[in-house]
Amino acid sequence: MSGAYPQMRDIAPIVYVVDDDESFLTAISRLLRANGFSVRTFSSAHEFLTQRDTETPGCVLADLRMPGMSGLDLQSALAQSPNPLPILFLTGHGDIRSTVRAMRDGAEDFLEKRAPKEMLFDAVTRALGRDSRERAARERQRELRALFDTLTERELEVLSHVVRGRLNKQIAADLGVHERTVKLHRTAITTKLKVQSVAELTRLTQEAGIFPEPVRTFP
Amino acid sequence: MSLVTIIWSMIGSACLTLAAISFLTWCRNREAWANLFFSLLATGTAAFAFCELGMMRAGTPAEFGTVLKWGHVPTWLILVSLVGFARFYLKAGRTWLAWLACGLRTLALVLNFLVGQNLNYREITGLRHISFLGESVQIAEGVPNPWMLVGQMSLLALVVFLMDASVTIWRRGDRHRALTVGGGAIFFMFFSTVQSVFVFWGILRIPITASLSFMCLVLVMGYELSSDTLRASELSLRLQKSEAGLHEIEQRMRLAVEAADFGVLIRDFTRNEMWASDRWRALFGFSETERLELQKILLRVHPEDLDALLSMLERARSGYGVYDADFRAVLPSGEVRWVAVRGRVEFDGAGKPAFARSVAHDISRQKKAEEETRNLRQELAHAGRVSMMGQLASALAHEINQPLGAILRNAEAAELFMQDQSPDLDEVRAILADIRKDDQRAGNVIDRMRGMLKRRSLEKKPVNVGELVGDVAALVHSDATARSITLELTVADHLPPVLGDPVHLQQVLLNLIVNGMDAVNGANPGDRRVCVTATLGGPKTIEIAVNDSGRGVPSDQLIRIFDPFFTTKPDGMGMGLPISRTIIEAHNGRLWVENQNEGGASFRFTLPIAEQEYTT
Repeated sequence: MSGAYPQMRDIAPIVYVVDDDESFLTAISRLLRANGFSVRTFSSAHEFLTQRDTETPGCVLADLRMPGMSGLDLQSALAQSPNPLPILFLTGHGDIRSTVRAMRDGAEDFLEKRAPKEMLFDAVTRALGRDSRERAARERQRELRALFDTLTERELEVLSHVVRGRLNKQIAADLGVHERTVKLHRTAITTKLKVQSVAELTRLTQEAGIFPEPVRTFP
Repeated sequence: MSLVTIIWSMIGSACLTLAAISFLTWCRNREAWANLFFSLLATGTAAFAFCELGMMRAGTPAEFGTVLKWGHVPTWLILVSLVGFARFYLKAGRTWLAWLACGLRTLALVLNFLVGQNLNYREITGLRHISFLGESVQIAEGVPNPWMLVGQMSLLALVVFLMDASVTIWRRGDRHRALTVGGGAIFFMFFSTVQSVFVFWGILRIPITASLSFMCLVLVMGYELSSDTLRASELSLRLQKSEAGLHEIEQRMRLAVEAADFGVLIRDFTRNEMWASDRWRALFGFSETERLELQKILLRVHPEDLDALLSMLERARSGYGVYDADFRAVLPSGEVRWVAVRGRVEFDGAGKPAFARSVAHDISRQKKAEEETRNLRQELAHAGRVSMMGQLASALAHEINQPLGAILRNAEAAELFMQDQSPDLDEVRAILADIRKDDQRAGNVIDRMRGMLKRRSLEKKPVNVGELVGDVAALVHSDATARSITLELTVADHLPPVLGDPVHLQQVLLNLIVNGMDAVNGANPGDRRVCVTATLGGPKTIEIAVNDSGRGVPSDQLIRIFDPFFTTKPDGMGMGLPISRTIIEAHNGRLWVENQNEGGASFRFTLPIAEQEYTT
């Protein structure tokens, strides 16, 4: 999928490690580096949030227990940013309540601090993949939105009928216009959105998420 | 018989009787110098009375002159003994005046034998008959001797001396004696002085009757002396009574000492002897007839207690005067008993120890009870620590997992680095150093836990307050982090070490901090604060406070909060604070609670600063 967006491939993803324990921070960053990851370390959630570059892809590896802003606080803050990163939690031992809350809020994974390194690498790789996917999806959505923004309001209205599978005649009747006008709008739509078929049009509309309500195929 | 003969003979004999009585008194009590002088005074007066009688009955001027010449000897005796009497009886009068009067009189006596016929007349030219008390008596006519002035000066000096002495005792508050003895002496001496001046300078034509004045003087003083003797006999009677009382008190004391089960030991330093009561002998395992020596007694003292006892005895002997020691006595049978000894050393005039008296008491039972209490307290403290460690177990596991995780990650990283064609050895060395450091860290956590879990007795030593606070903070750090509690530590600079048992003190601090953390649980995460401060509380104490940002202690709980089994926590035992208070009190400190003005509770305790001898 990233292949479609070559401009992002040049920026190497970074693993952001956040832990108040300096010695553990050094150790885990060494291990990740030795395995080929790019790593940046932060000794507190606050430090990470103020210093990170939102455009750089990557994932967060954070200690669940930290003084000041905890791992869960970091997760909430991150979710509100325009470019949220997948977050992996490190814990000394399982704390059920925190785990449940973190998972419900979309934590990528939970790792014990002494989990096998393969599990760690896999989890990090998975998180980076997810970030890459989500980042690409967000990018495509932004592009599609820009494409749909070129349509006029009337054209959008016609499109909403088209994707619901209604015929030109029905649309003309609904909108109280001539059938030929509807045809003209449809031509403009397909030209602007660079599509050939109604099926393609429907898929693109769905992908862009233009109409929030589920598209009803049958009236 | 003539009246003059009767009166003057009576004066003489009365004075001699008084002199004899007083002399006998002095013979029995050689310290009573006043009696001796009184006796001499009375003798002098008697002699002078006979001289006067001789003069009145003299047949020729030469006879009159001779009697008058020899009459100066009793006069000298009267004056000197009166001075002596005043000095010893009144204990007053200036010395130089005394010497002046005596000196002048002695000079007069010498002149009496060297110059003229006698001191009073250069020459007696004739006798004149005058009528006195209804009969004819002789008085002299002649040329007055100017050297007579020396004798009259001596009388004047005596009067001045007596006045000075009277004023002194008047000021001292002894007004009765000032009036009777002082006033009497002055009056009669003055009278006789005036008479001698008038008669010998030929102004008055009467016989010399100084012995009358002197006798009055003797009577006044005799009265005072005898009333003193009476008082002395009363005193001795009272003394006898109080001696009887003393004996009674001694009996009661003996009863008390026996009832209290005290053994008594008395040591006479000058004779190097020791005496002990039967109870004392039984206490230390000596038979009733065995001769006691210090060395033998010290051999019965437990070797571990001997040095402390010896230094205490030495201190008492070298001037401190009292000693007070608890030690173990080892009896010949091998039995060990605890003995409490309290004693006092008495010193002689030169400041050397003369006597040492002491009582000894068997306190084995008390010591055993104390030991049991101490053991129980330690058991309880240990239970408290174990329970607290249980509460902190998960936080402590985290505290250990942290370095273990770092070690694992470092080791794995090193393995990966070593797979490289040309491994970065500097990096690997850094990793190994970190691994060692983390291992040490994990070990420290375990050591701290083990210290807290070990069953141990109270062993005091100098403890660095900063380290104490730091160690406890390390134990709770993880738990505080997990609960979003900020732990603030403020230890004043250059605090001297306290004297205490580090583990027990950690326990108290840990307990107070954990309580504080529980108290702030309900607050907003940003407002959960527990602050530990250590400051100098006084010249000899350090004060440590644990303040929290919770709601404080309700006023109705302030008193009960240190009661055993009083708790506000659903799963609390209510033993933490009572144990903490016991521990602090065993350290001679104080633990209390107060609410802070800005809200939240403040638990505070004091600890004594370790003395110099411990710190060096």
